[in-house]
Amino acid sequence: MILLQVIVGGLLLGAVYALLSSGLTLIWGMMNFINFAHGEFVMLGMYAALLTVLWIGGGPGIFGFAAALALFFLGILVYFSLIKEVMRGPMLAQILSTFGLSLLLRYAAFWVFSPNVMTLPPTALAGTIDLGGILLTGAQLVAGLVAAVLTLGMHLLLTRSRVGSQLLAVAEDRNAAMLMGIRPDRMQALAWGLSAASAGIAGALWAISFPFSPAVGETFALTAFVVVTLGGFGSVPGAMLAGLIVGLIQALSAYWLGPIYKDVVVYGLFVALLWLRPQGLLGTV
Amino acid sequence: MKRWGLLALVAALLAYPWLVAGSDSAAFLQDMGALVLLSAVGASAWNILGGYAGQISVGHAVFFGAGAYLPLLLYQHWQLPPLLGVPAGVAASLVIALFVGFPTLRLVGHYFSMATIAVAELVRIVIGNWDFLGAAIGLQGPATSRGWYDVIFRSSVPYYYIFLAVLALILLVTWQMQRSRLGYYLGAIRAGERAARSLGVPVRRYKLYALMLSAAFTSLAGSLYALKTGFIDPDSGLGILVSVQMIITAALGGAGTLFGPLLGAAILVPLQTATNTWLGGSGSGLTYIVYGGVIVLIARFEPGGLIELGQRLAALRQRRRKVVHRAA
Amino acid sequence: MLLSAEKVTKQFGSFRAVSDADLSVEEGDIIGLIGPNGAGKSTFFNCIAGDALPSSGRILFDGADVTRATPETHARLGIGRTFQVPATFEDMTILDNVMVGAFLRHQHRGEARDRAFEVLKLTGLEQQAQQRARSLGTPGRKRLEIARVLATGPRLMLLDEALAGLTPGEVQRAIELVRRIHEQGITLVIVEHIMEVILTLTRHVLVFNQGHVIASGKPQEVVKDPAVIEAYLGRGHARAVRGPAG
Repeated sequence: MILLQVIVGGLLLGAVYALLSSGLTLIWGMMNFINFAHGEFVMLGMYAALLTVLWIGGGPGIFGFAAALALFFLGILVYFSLIKEVMRGPMLAQILSTFGLSLLLRYAAFWVFSPNVMTLPPTALAGTIDLGGILLTGAQLVAGLVAAVLTLGMHLLLTRSRVGSQLLAVAEDRNAAMLMGIRPDRMQALAWGLSAASAGIAGALWAISFPFSPAVGETFALTAFVVVTLGGFGSVPGAMLAGLIVGLIQALSAYWLGPIYKDVVVYGLFVALLWLRPQGLLGTV
Repeated sequence: MKRWGLLALVAALLAYPWLVAGSDSAAFLQDMGALVLLSAVGASAWNILGGYAGQISVGHAVFFGAGAYLPLLLYQHWQLPPLLGVPAGVAASLVIALFVGFPTLRLVGHYFSMATIAVAELVRIVIGNWDFLGAAIGLQGPATSRGWYDVIFRSSVPYYYIFLAVLALILLVTWQMQRSRLGYYLGAIRAGERAARSLGVPVRRYKLYALMLSAAFTSLAGSLYALKTGFIDPDSGLGILVSVQMIITAALGGAGTLFGPLLGAAILVPLQTATNTWLGGSGSGLTYIVYGGVIVLIARFEPGGLIELGQRLAALRQRRRKVVHRAA
Repeated sequence: MLLSAEKVTKQFGSFRAVSDADLSVEEGDIIGLIGPNGAGKSTFFNCIAGDALPSSGRILFDGADVTRATPETHARLGIGRTFQVPATFEDMTILDNVMVGAFLRHQHRGEARDRAFEVLKLTGLEQQAQQRARSLGTPGRKRLEIARVLATGPRLMLLDEALAGLTPGEVQRAIELVRRIHEQGITLVIVEHIMEVILTLTRHVLVFNQGHVIASGKPQEVVKDPAVIEAYLGRGHARAVRGPAG
């Protein structure tokens, strides 16, 4: 029974990982660009949620939305001020740009928010739910389900909506898209906004259940790297599947090997993946 | 660099400890000199891979850590001279380099960069929990010298010259590499991988060469650090800030240039010492905000670092002078 | 037979860029590949060059199967290629660009340098050896690409629209350069749009349309082939050329 609980908990957390990583893989697929500051976007989503609760109050709906909104604008800002120019430069500049950004955001957060570990005030979801013998907090359940829905929503947005097809058009062939009247810059900025927003809201969802500090960004970034590699280059469905798998593996590792090993196994999986199947589950390399 | 400038630089570097010996803070300045050189060694090692080959490792700390841990490990458990661990550190780094590089260097650059962070973090966590390797407490070297082989000096000056010798070695090797087929091929890979391939450049193999050379020298930097400070722990040896330090030092001075890393070290080490002294503990927090910001600025405005900025300004001035001459 | 491509097909998902294309190249030939845009000639060209993996079919070079060989292997075996959009190493000097090519057969810097200068002389770039590649205009870059490939000592050179975008004068100079290269004993396969180049230089032409080879033969005959005219100009024109008798 405990095992089943661990599995369900892992899958629910995995859904959050999926949401968090879908933005990263979107950018990667669209612009051939890995955002090394993605983990910090997740972390800032948590703090945006915290500030919202402190200033305005409200429950997960409010602060989740606030996190998404704040990060959406941050994503667009980062695109126009940094990414747009750096895309035309050498690889060194591209990789260092978001790497430097991650440092900047992380240590600025240390400075502004202090390195102390924080928690969000208890929400209406705090209570335990009993699902046929499996004990979960309301927060775990809601976070997982909402994350799953949002990730699915992102996939549908990309594949079924007009905006989505415009985004994919720019991803596929920038020049052709321009000739069709689509503005690549706008689409790429939008993608960055969506990517950051999904990271931010994933962070807020996660923070309902877990304590956080500015340091968590680093771990989330690595988790996201593993998920997008496992899921395959640019594939949001891949990220969905991979997120669940990673969440599950992490939970089982913690359960069987001890909490220290939960990250080690995931990173080890990443290295094994690079050796054996770098294109992941659903991608082509 | 022009011949006279180079000679002046060498002379200045050789004479520095002697030049500052007279001042009140001689020991402090000599120590800082040694630290500048140590930082330059690490950054020059990173530069071989990141600057010349264009493969950006953001987890280079893993090689530094291997070079720092193995010597101190030999001492801590078997009281062997740490010096014996230096080749072991290099060997371990080469193995790790192959392990990370072999699968990833055939893929697009981002995979390699992601892999370097993951491996460095993986090793850091494992070592942090492994008692034999010191766990969170770390490892220590000999407290007092048992002989020349312990490489323990009370003054920073001998360290200064050892570091200078190693830096000279790295720069010499880098310079030779730059002029050889390896150097040309790496430049081609950096400038255009597809075109390089079409000219017969074995891209993956040459990237691996650069990686292994870089890893070996980074390991040396770690060993030098361990020999001087006599202490290592997961944060000082394998933390992300170790990697950041190497990157920003090389990039600020000029990644892909011979003396860029030394220039970066000469600027950053005194600066960091100053901010730490003035602002105390909170200073280091601010330092990393600035580091992050500087890296972003370099990436955004001047990826070639200060040396390239200087070259551009000099070219601009030359052109203006020509105009003036023509007008006159 | 220096190069032979047998029933080469290249598919992208459900889209067939190239279907069952055959090509035979004897040593010393100059072969042209023509066809309207999107006809598949560039894709076929990339398959031969090792830049694209054929979905089916075989490519043999001097007896060796190079169907799945990497571009590096191609270069080592003696197949060189230029790019439609010149991919010169912008921040390196012209000499250094060519030296990269020379290093394939010459391990040491001195030898590579000598070989590079030889090639620069042949291609008329000697005076600009120390300039950066980015200082060249498009014709210069195309010339540099050719020089760079020459330095690798190829037996077969694949030129991808190397004369596109040149002024008539530059086209003449380029044709002369190609002739000089051919005189050195290098076999050539040229993708080109400019008919003058095809007619003056090549001895045999393959015409692509919609992924298929629709005509193959001497350039003078191929340009009069109704199927070829139809491919370029549309259905009505073939009849117009043939005349009302049909």
